[in-house]
Amino acid sequence: MFRVFCLLVVASSILAAQSREDEREEMVQAQIAARGITDEATLRAMRTVPRHLFVPPAWSDAAYADRPLPIGYGQTISQPYIVAYMTELVKPRRGQRVLEIGTGSGYQAAVLAEIVDSVFTIEIITDLANEAAARLKNLGCKNILVRNADGYYGWEEKAPFDAIVVTAAAEHIPPPLIRQLKDGGVMVIPVGTPFLVQMLTLVEKRGESVSTRSLIPVRFVPLTRGK
Amino acid sequence: MTRMLVSLALLSCALVAFQLVLMQSLSIVQWYHFAYMVISVALLGFGASGTLLSLARERFLKDADVLVPLLMIASGMTMMLSLPLSQYNFIRFDSYLLFVEGNQVLRLVLTYLLFFFPFVLGALAIALLFLQHTIVIGRVYAANLVGSAAGGGVALGLMWLVPVHHMPAVIGFMAIGAGVLLITQTHRRSLLAVAAVGGLLALVFVLLPSPLHPSEYKSLSRTLTLPEARVKYARSSPYGLVHVVSSPALRYAPGLSLSFKGTVPSEKVVFNNGDWFGPIVGYRSDDSLHVADYSTFALPYVLDQRRRVLVLQARTGLFAAQALLRGAEHITVVEPHREVLELLRHEFAQESDSLLFHPAINVHALEPRSFLKADTSRFDLIVLPTLDAFGGTSGVYALQEQYLLTREAFREMWDRLTPNGVLTITSWMDQPARNPLRALATIADMLADAGVVSPKMHIAAIRSWGTVTFAVKRSPVTQEESNRVLAFCRRMQFDPLLLPDLKNDDRNKHNVLYDPSFFTLVDGILGPHRESVITTYPFRINAPTDNRPYFSQFLRWSSIPQLYDSFGQHALPFVELGSFLIALTLVQILVLAIVLILLPLAKKKIAGDGSASLLLYFAALGLGYMFVEMVLIQRFVLYLGQPLYAAAAAIGAMLIFSGAGSACSSRFTSQASLVRRKALVIGILVLVYAAFLDSAIHHTITLPLPWRFLLAGLMVAPLAFMMGMPFPLGVRVFGDIHPNAVAWAWGINCCASVIAAPLATLVAIEAGFASVLVIAAGLYLAAALSTILLANRM
Repeated sequence: MFRVFCLLVVASSILAAQSREDEREEMVQAQIAARGITDEATLRAMRTVPRHLFVPPAWSDAAYADRPLPIGYGQTISQPYIVAYMTELVKPRRGQRVLEIGTGSGYQAAVLAEIVDSVFTIEIITDLANEAAARLKNLGCKNILVRNADGYYGWEEKAPFDAIVVTAAAEHIPPPLIRQLKDGGVMVIPVGTPFLVQMLTLVEKRGESVSTRSLIPVRFVPLTRGK
Repeated sequence: MTRMLVSLALLSCALVAFQLVLMQSLSIVQWYHFAYMVISVALLGFGASGTLLSLARERFLKDADVLVPLLMIASGMTMMLSLPLSQYNFIRFDSYLLFVEGNQVLRLVLTYLLFFFPFVLGALAIALLFLQHTIVIGRVYAANLVGSAAGGGVALGLMWLVPVHHMPAVIGFMAIGAGVLLITQTHRRSLLAVAAVGGLLALVFVLLPSPLHPSEYKSLSRTLTLPEARVKYARSSPYGLVHVVSSPALRYAPGLSLSFKGTVPSEKVVFNNGDWFGPIVGYRSDDSLHVADYSTFALPYVLDQRRRVLVLQARTGLFAAQALLRGAEHITVVEPHREVLELLRHEFAQESDSLLFHPAINVHALEPRSFLKADTSRFDLIVLPTLDAFGGTSGVYALQEQYLLTREAFREMWDRLTPNGVLTITSWMDQPARNPLRALATIADMLADAGVVSPKMHIAAIRSWGTVTFAVKRSPVTQEESNRVLAFCRRMQFDPLLLPDLKNDDRNKHNVLYDPSFFTLVDGILGPHRESVITTYPFRINAPTDNRPYFSQFLRWSSIPQLYDSFGQHALPFVELGSFLIALTLVQILVLAIVLILLPLAKKKIAGDGSASLLLYFAALGLGYMFVEMVLIQRFVLYLGQPLYAAAAAIGAMLIFSGAGSACSSRFTSQASLVRRKALVIGILVLVYAAFLDSAIHHTITLPLPWRFLLAGLMVAPLAFMMGMPFPLGVRVFGDIHPNAVAWAWGINCCASVIAAPLATLVAIEAGFASVLVIAAGLYLAAALSTILLANRM
């Protein structure tokens, strides 16, 4: 009897995991690839990282829905497409070191860590930083270092970085972050109110020159023509 | 009789005060428009009370001696309980989660219900008193109006004295007191026992007030999660709940140049009702340059030195500090939030380097437009507040009247500039562009009004990764100034947007825009086909006017399908929440009004089939009265310089003089022809006001404030006096036909008054305030018409 019970438990957990994998595949196909994300490494990472483990249990059912979700402390886990788009924008590759400002749930860091060598992530809210560090450790993410600190100063000891992903943007780009960016490196910053990212700013460093590009994370029809 | 009138006035006072407390509390925990939506539903309690009374009139009247005090006590008790209960975990709703989490709708409904009870119970007591005293309805209605007028004053006074979450206990106690006043020998002991329980409840809530829990997505809540975040100051006042917060992680440098190599200093930040208000900045920085000099804000000082500077809506003084650092000798600071000015003068004088005490600085606690109308000085530079916010505001301010950002306001500023003076305004870049384009369209209209033939020659504009700053110069921008701006842009890695002879290729180098159509639009707005460029853009970007002062209302309802085509689910932020909620408010009120009031009342037909005229008469009065009141408040904002003063003067004077008119109406006989004449006179008077009110305001705006207060009251007096008569007269005329008419009248009138608020705002947005007044005149004429219909039926 006990064996049967154990078998049932194992079988149901396998089925549940399979169902989550299916949801992830559906998410990648319908929300990410269909919207123009083509970078293979990014798509693979999005297929691999179990997003449902990064959202509060109450939101687990909606983990793969096409929207951001609350994670407490006035913070959100970004919509899957935004995570994928930001990942693709920094052109991640093996051998790279990436800094993330604003760990949140740790999901963006986990996606990046699937592609690059090392991810250094800073979270200013102590509870979020501790929770994310524990979560990433449980998931076996060995190439991610979490620090509870003010992201304004970056992570001097680990600099320079090939890319910086700022997921908790302020109304100015902290000068220390620009300093810690490698020559040729890029930084991506989302701009929007909670639950709604409306645009992304990409910062590119070439020698002493720093330039920015404004990007729209959605299909965009120029609005100069009235209908 | 006197005791009843006092009791009625006290209860009316408590109900209005409670309404204001709810508005303030909900603005603190959520934001203003949700407060508006919740309150409007709660106020439908007034209408529902009329329905209940109409359906069970005899039963209510039979036990009225017991019911009236009991209802008043119950209303007081629910006032005390509803706000604390709404803050409990299982009921508390969050507007940010409303579109994300299904059960938030249920929470919102529960919140509606909680706030519905105090109003329905209190209104039932009032309506019963109306029914009992139809003969002297004029005096009873007057007590109701005067008590309501006092309610506003009581709430505002209390806001200075106690935190807002303490206030329901005090106000609830007033309602209980009103009930105690009317306790007779019948069931005296039981009623006194209930009142005693209410009194104890009040004591408990005064001693152990239940705190408010702001949404975790409000700026203040998020800031308090930062390390070492400390609330250094918190005080409630009618201006709002002001917090000052410190944290080493709070730094303010909007759109800072990517060339800035230093460290942005930490600052204390002021929040008003949980929303970001401004940083407290010093000017005696160790660095010789203020961080604002590394942003596009520096543009007017790059053009030339500015000796006399006017900073409008200065908030916490960032631009005043910048002007001081740039060597300005006379700086005039205009900021209407007195509480924040007091903070900078006292508790946080040191942190602001005693900015407001600097001999070069002259402070005016006024609405900027009132200052512009009253002051005739000229300035080398006029600085406007920054438009929008980093990351956008999701249309939160769509319904906010912004008199400083209208075509007329810009023209007044232009007239205050010295021959080489500059007007400057900065906007956050939004996507799709709206704020900067509308600012430019307003500038273009201002230049056209001033007779400037080549607008491009008078404008310099630069752009960072996040902000765009316009500087409009009275004289043409010179080649030398243009060169200085170009050099500044190169140094700061900004891009020039507008300069005489600027090449198109030089505009998009450092901060590349994905959508270059922004430049086409900018050029189009300054070109010969401005009107066509503006009208074909899917968002409203034309210059706002004093008649339609909604700068942040960008949504064209007709563009919604196009926005969904372009953005899919991401169209939501462009379907501005403010606009969306006001439309939703109107729809929900209409549906609830039909379900709660009209359908039940329809079953109780009025004898003589006068129901259609009665409906038309009292609905027209309810709508018309509120339409006039709303326009008066708006006009007095300009006149008295403070929204708070405007609301107090307009509402107070309206209610007091209407009360006097109502009391006076007792002298007239209840004849339909008399009612008709009164309604006709009011309709004509409203039209006279529509024609001459602005002119009266314009000619007397330079008088000292006490005189303006007095004149505001006098301006309102004749119209309000007349407007107090039709309701009690109508009650008597229709009451002669059927006893149920009083309950009907009350229900319909309240219902229409509630509908009027969102409806008037929608009309003002689409057609302007003048149209609201014209419609109000039409409504009074419709009321007059209804009495003709009634006479014909009879």
